[in-house]
Amino acid sequence: MGGLMQVVFDALSLGSLYALGALGIALIFGVMRLVNFAHGDVIAFCVFALLWPSVDAVAIIFAGNLPWYLLIPFALAVGAGLSVLSEVVVFRRFRRANPATMMIASFALGFVIRYFLLMLFSSRPKSISLLPELSQPVEILGARLPLLQLITILVTITVLIGLTAFLRRTRFGLEMRAAAENFTMARMLGVRANRVIMGAFALSGALAAAIALILGSQTGTANIMMGASVMLMAFIATVIGGMGSLAGAVIAGFALGAIATVMQVILPPDARAFRDAFVYGAVILVLIFRPQGLLSARGTKERV
Amino acid sequence: MARRPSTASVARRTIVTPVLLSVLLVIFALAAWAAGSRPFNQTVIDIFLQVIFVVGLYTFIGNSGVISFGHVAFACLGGYVAAWTTIKPMMKSSAMPGLPDWLMQMEIPFWAAAIAGAGFAAFWALVFGAVLMRLSGIAASIATFAMLAMVNSIYSNWDSVTAATSSVVGIPIVRTVWPYLVAAVLSVFAAWAFSISRHGLALRAARDEPTAAAASGVDIPRVRLVAFVLSGAIMGAGGALYAHSIGLVTPDTFYLGLTFTTLSMLVVGGMGSLSGAVIGVLILSSLIQILRWLEAGVAIGESSFALPGGVQEIALGVVMILILMFRPAGIMGNSEWTGRLPRFAKPGAPGPDNRSQPTGDQT
Amino acid sequence: MSLLSLSNISVRYGRLTAVRGVTFTLAEGEMLFITGPNGAGKSSLLRAIAGVTPPAGGRVDFADHDITGQAPEDIARLGLSMVPEGRDVFGSLTIEENLMVGTGMHAGSRGWRARAASELEAVYATFPILKDRRHAQAGLLSGGQQQMLVIGRALMTTPRLVAIDEPSLGLAPNITDQVYERLIALRAERKLTLLIVEQSSTRAMMAGGRMMLMRGGEIVLDGDARALGQSEAMQAAYFGYGDH
Repeated sequence: MGGLMQVVFDALSLGSLYALGALGIALIFGVMRLVNFAHGDVIAFCVFALLWPSVDAVAIIFAGNLPWYLLIPFALAVGAGLSVLSEVVVFRRFRRANPATMMIASFALGFVIRYFLLMLFSSRPKSISLLPELSQPVEILGARLPLLQLITILVTITVLIGLTAFLRRTRFGLEMRAAAENFTMARMLGVRANRVIMGAFALSGALAAAIALILGSQTGTANIMMGASVMLMAFIATVIGGMGSLAGAVIAGFALGAIATVMQVILPPDARAFRDAFVYGAVILVLIFRPQGLLSARGTKERV
Repeated sequence: MARRPSTASVARRTIVTPVLLSVLLVIFALAAWAAGSRPFNQTVIDIFLQVIFVVGLYTFIGNSGVISFGHVAFACLGGYVAAWTTIKPMMKSSAMPGLPDWLMQMEIPFWAAAIAGAGFAAFWALVFGAVLMRLSGIAASIATFAMLAMVNSIYSNWDSVTAATSSVVGIPIVRTVWPYLVAAVLSVFAAWAFSISRHGLALRAARDEPTAAAASGVDIPRVRLVAFVLSGAIMGAGGALYAHSIGLVTPDTFYLGLTFTTLSMLVVGGMGSLSGAVIGVLILSSLIQILRWLEAGVAIGESSFALPGGVQEIALGVVMILILMFRPAGIMGNSEWTGRLPRFAKPGAPGPDNRSQPTGDQT
Repeated sequence: MSLLSLSNISVRYGRLTAVRGVTFTLAEGEMLFITGPNGAGKSSLLRAIAGVTPPAGGRVDFADHDITGQAPEDIARLGLSMVPEGRDVFGSLTIEENLMVGTGMHAGSRGWRARAASELEAVYATFPILKDRRHAQAGLLSGGQQQMLVIGRALMTTPRLVAIDEPSLGLAPNITDQVYERLIALRAERKLTLLIVEQSSTRAMMAGGRMMLMRGGEIVLDGDARALGQSEAMQAAYFGYGDH
């Protein structure tokens, strides 16, 4: 029983990370058909924003020393700010470009952000202790798990409920959903394009910051590459979820987390190192049979 | 397709392009030989390797219009083939004890390793491509990215065969520029030959007019697969030669960094143009070289001045974004060097799409 | 006093010129039909007015503002509401949500919620079927219901001018009759100015008002719908023989 619960919690907490990442990607894809390759680097940036620039191996924690009730809003603001900045400086000029051009531009922007971090912090991973009180174990239903894992799951559920309420109940959410479905029509009804797109970028950046806080506390390291693997899984989740469908992205994110965790358990020990490779392979196989994604019931087709 | 010009006549009209590009490469090689300086020699070898990679990338992206983030995976496959087949058996057995016996004993010359690398990469391109080429657009691009991550993950973890993330050393180093020149010229000609072949023409037709091409009976996944395998082979040969140029391989040599550099060169030169692929390499390599000198530090009078590390990639990224903003078809804008004065945007050449253009009735 | 005035508007898509040198004015409260054969440039003209495809040349004035090349949302906010061809409903949103999207431009002003609610009731009064299915997904509606929804949605923005592209497209004749009945009633109730694009001139002749005929991107005739409809010149111009 305890062992099974352990697997369930592992799957949920890994899936939470992927779901949060996929949401951040799908939000932006929905309103401007941009596959944002810079998302992973926004995640890394948010972790490093808590440190003082130095190329030493030992991290100098700076903003990271703030109490949690200041630290969390600070990180979210950094993520949202960087994301909005990338919209204003770069992506705004690609509004009329085709999705492939925008995608390469975001890939380039991701590199600019990553090497900006490298310039300030070097490429060596640094050990940090972020919110150390969260690594205490707790016992639930016979499974011993770090408090952080529980908090990750709870935070994700809260974020999902909050975002759903935001999209369903607020004026801005209504405009975003309308714009995601038919941008030009929404504009003809007076919906301000820039406001909606900036809102999507801000939300996406804040989600990236949430991932950054979770990853930073979980792994205890800051690494300029740390966003890359979450981003790739998030991409895959958005594709499986049907490009731009927020609900699809979340469900697919959790599904990927579950698949990865189960593989970790059932694969022979020698093969466990290849877990991610197996997941990617499984996903590519899924895509052959459902190129439009598994969950694309809604009519959000890719406008290429 | 009422009158299709014969392949021979197309070949005669377009052969100027690969010849001119090869002449350009030969000039570089001669300059390196004449200068006789070690670092300059190495720089020219790097340029030739990049030409191979970018031309390989062009063979797929340029003809199919599908952006691939995964081609560097084939360079990785080729690079490790060079390690498996050319390192002395004694060194191999300690670094990669899991290799099968026949491979353990193998010690072939570098050119044979390059061919083997191309073949191995082509085989896997066929396997991956059979699956991936059925996707299109953004899903295809993301799937190629997943393929790169998958290959990297396998090579970073398969301790007994790839020595995991540690460097595999002992690959015989080839220091002279000529083999790299030959390989670069060969890849330019291979890319050219493909682009004027029946498959290449069909693929470009499908890129520009997917619906019309599908209606006229072009099997798009199949012609894409042909391009994918050929480009995979070129990348594989490039990867093997890359291994011989520095004498070692690690999985991360062939990962996001190289993907970024090669893609930026192709974008800057022009994704739809073979000349663009080569010119993009030359321009950005020069920029990278200048930035490397500056990063190493230059003395200006009394004081010395050095740029911090990372500026190189940042500059590359900025150049790439600016080109995409202001000239999305790249410097060559889909046209080729023909020896005449520069021609811009042939009629019918694919310009940047405009997604905000009306999709409905345009009455 | 003219509400909308176009001078010398042209629209291009790459090398293709869809509209060339169109000039006309539309007075407050007028109903104007633009008719013409397929490919005459009618839809392109509407898209240029609404700011979706900025005109390549010329000038558009609406309610004393120069709106040439302005963003669609800014034009909509001045009170020019466009109902594009093909009934672009937001399929995954409910009917009521579809209607509410257009009220955002007044959000934040004093008492806008109350006004939006009364506007919603007015639209429901005009199209009772929408009220019955207010929480249904818009994508599930029939063609006629979707047409009512997009017209209702345009009205929710409290426009001064509604421009409608082919309201009869794909609808059964009796449904089209209903749609037109409502439109004409609305015009009287709200002193709306209407700009309607239709391929056939029959509707215009039935409804009355002013009619223009476009062909080859230009306006070839302009006058009273009923008078024009009976004239020889109309037939000649529509089918392209006669003075050209």
